[in-house]
Amino acid sequence: MPLRRMKRRDALIGAGAAALAVRPAFGQAEPQRPGQIVVNASGGSMNRAMRKAYFDAFEKDTGIRVVETSPVDLGKLKAMVASGNVEWNLTEIGGQDGALVQRLGLVDKIDPKVVDRSGYPKEAQNEYLFASSVYSTVLAYRTDAFAPGKQPTGWAEFWDVKRFPGPRSMRNHPVDNLEFALLADGVPADKLYPIDMDRAFKKLDEIKPHVNVWWTTGQQPAQLLLDKEVVLATGWNGRFYDLMKKEAPIAVEWKEGSLKQGTFVIPKGAKDPYWSNKMLAYMSDPKRQAIYANELGYPGLNLASIKYIDPKAAPHMPTHPDNLPKQFWLSAAWWDENMEKSLDRWKQWLLRK
Amino acid sequence: MTRARQVHRRAVGSALALSVPAMILLLLIFAVPLLRLLALSIEGGSLAAYEKALGSELYVQVFLGTFKIATLVTLLTLAMGYPVAYLMATSGRAWQFLGIAFVLLPFWTSILVRTYAWMVLLGRNGVINRTLVSWGVIDTPLPLLNNEAAVLIGMVHVLLPYMILPIFSAVRKVDPTLVLAAEGLGASRLQAFLRVTLPLTMNGVVAGITLVFTLSLGFFITPALLGGGRVVMIANLIEEQVRELLNWAFAGALSTILLVLTLAAFWGISRLARTRPA
Repeated sequence: MPLRRMKRRDALIGAGAAALAVRPAFGQAEPQRPGQIVVNASGGSMNRAMRKAYFDAFEKDTGIRVVETSPVDLGKLKAMVASGNVEWNLTEIGGQDGALVQRLGLVDKIDPKVVDRSGYPKEAQNEYLFASSVYSTVLAYRTDAFAPGKQPTGWAEFWDVKRFPGPRSMRNHPVDNLEFALLADGVPADKLYPIDMDRAFKKLDEIKPHVNVWWTTGQQPAQLLLDKEVVLATGWNGRFYDLMKKEAPIAVEWKEGSLKQGTFVIPKGAKDPYWSNKMLAYMSDPKRQAIYANELGYPGLNLASIKYIDPKAAPHMPTHPDNLPKQFWLSAAWWDENMEKSLDRWKQWLLRK
Repeated sequence: MTRARQVHRRAVGSALALSVPAMILLLLIFAVPLLRLLALSIEGGSLAAYEKALGSELYVQVFLGTFKIATLVTLLTLAMGYPVAYLMATSGRAWQFLGIAFVLLPFWTSILVRTYAWMVLLGRNGVINRTLVSWGVIDTPLPLLNNEAAVLIGMVHVLLPYMILPIFSAVRKVDPTLVLAAEGLGASRLQAFLRVTLPLTMNGVVAGITLVFTLSLGFFITPALLGGGRVVMIANLIEEQVRELLNWAFAGALSTILLVLTLAAFWGISRLARTRPA
């Protein structure tokens, strides 16, 4: 009972401190603990995994409640920062939006004194962007539609409707699809950028009549395969992994998958920034990243985490040594520059009969 | 006369006074944001956003497509809704209650749930196709889902109550002895309906059309899920500008154009209703 009262008092002090805008002192002394912090992410199975891997431990150690909200919403982030009423302590953003949020000044720097990313690859140590995990847009198919040995590998075969007949689903978005079209057309993976849009759309013309559904939410392609609505689909590897764990007749082909990183940021002007950083410290811990990866199939970027991943789950990771070299990294820089132009052209192309 | 006018004036005065709180609320939560949206769309005093919206083939095409879908949905709900409303209003209490329950129950169900239900029904392996295949009616599944027809089905289902309820209340207000009188004077049932019931229920029809049409213009979840990505409504593009591209000036311009077009349509509908022979 006294313990509970303590916590309540702490919460009140935390709220009061925030209201008076008293800056918590950094350095040796730990700043006041707020009653709660809000972490915004994609929701669904991802939030469950985050709770298991990070949130429960954080709550237990600090006594600060972690409130989960979703979905990821750049518009909301911009509105919060613009109005000065920042509700999120941390938020996930789309893998291709890292440059955009920095350009618009929507994010605060990550504190290297609190978050240790020495175990990360150099490219994944951006001072504003926290790389939470790696995911890949891959080719997936129904195993009962294609006999063993006659299963599709790579985008040229995804495009080959004679040898691999049946309806398909692709994302209703130019990201990934332009790359896949070029790969199907024989462009080598290291020559994709800058993207030749005319060539990509010309190749997409070929597959268009065979695409039954242009998906908009990440769960759709997995569900479409499960319902036999389509036999081939593009999608995020974790969504398929989730079904494969439940022994659905679905398989993933890693060849020419499109790698990107899940990203978390501290919104500019977020309350209690020390505790945002503290949460990122939990999320950079290799053992915790392994728990997350075992759940979802999205490994963390702390290179040490691979040691702790369940050997049964390891082959389903995009970073597994068998899978990684088959894939390519999506260029966030190219997409930042060309997003609006490509989206307009994509919509126009889709509406053309 | 002067006395009557005084009473009337006092009634108008108190009605105005009573509506002040609602007006203030509307002003704060509707008019102010709307004006800010407008200001956003002409950021820096430039009309570039409007130029882009009206000058690009894509956006004009999507605006036209959106109005086409809204018109089709309105006509379909009217064709299906009027008979239901008429039947409900002219039948006995028990049937009326049952009718209202059937109209309102789906109305209270989440729009997402209803959209997913249609996906289960219409899919390639959905309930309808599986049944038809197992009965031997068809060999290969019919393409029922992921096209414009599926979007129309889903939207009509969601919007039907907005058509039925205003017409229902209009039909209920019609004095049944008027129809009897018309028939007594030699009108056929059709004539009595066309010249007595229909004109007297026109306000309900106009209300229904207005509601369904304006709501249709703003739809985006149903088209996105049932259209398989092939049906693009203007709301989808506005959402994309707001949430993905963060180009709020352009989103503001698209919204303003949609608002102006909606108001124009609204004005057109009410004019049309007024010029009808009463």
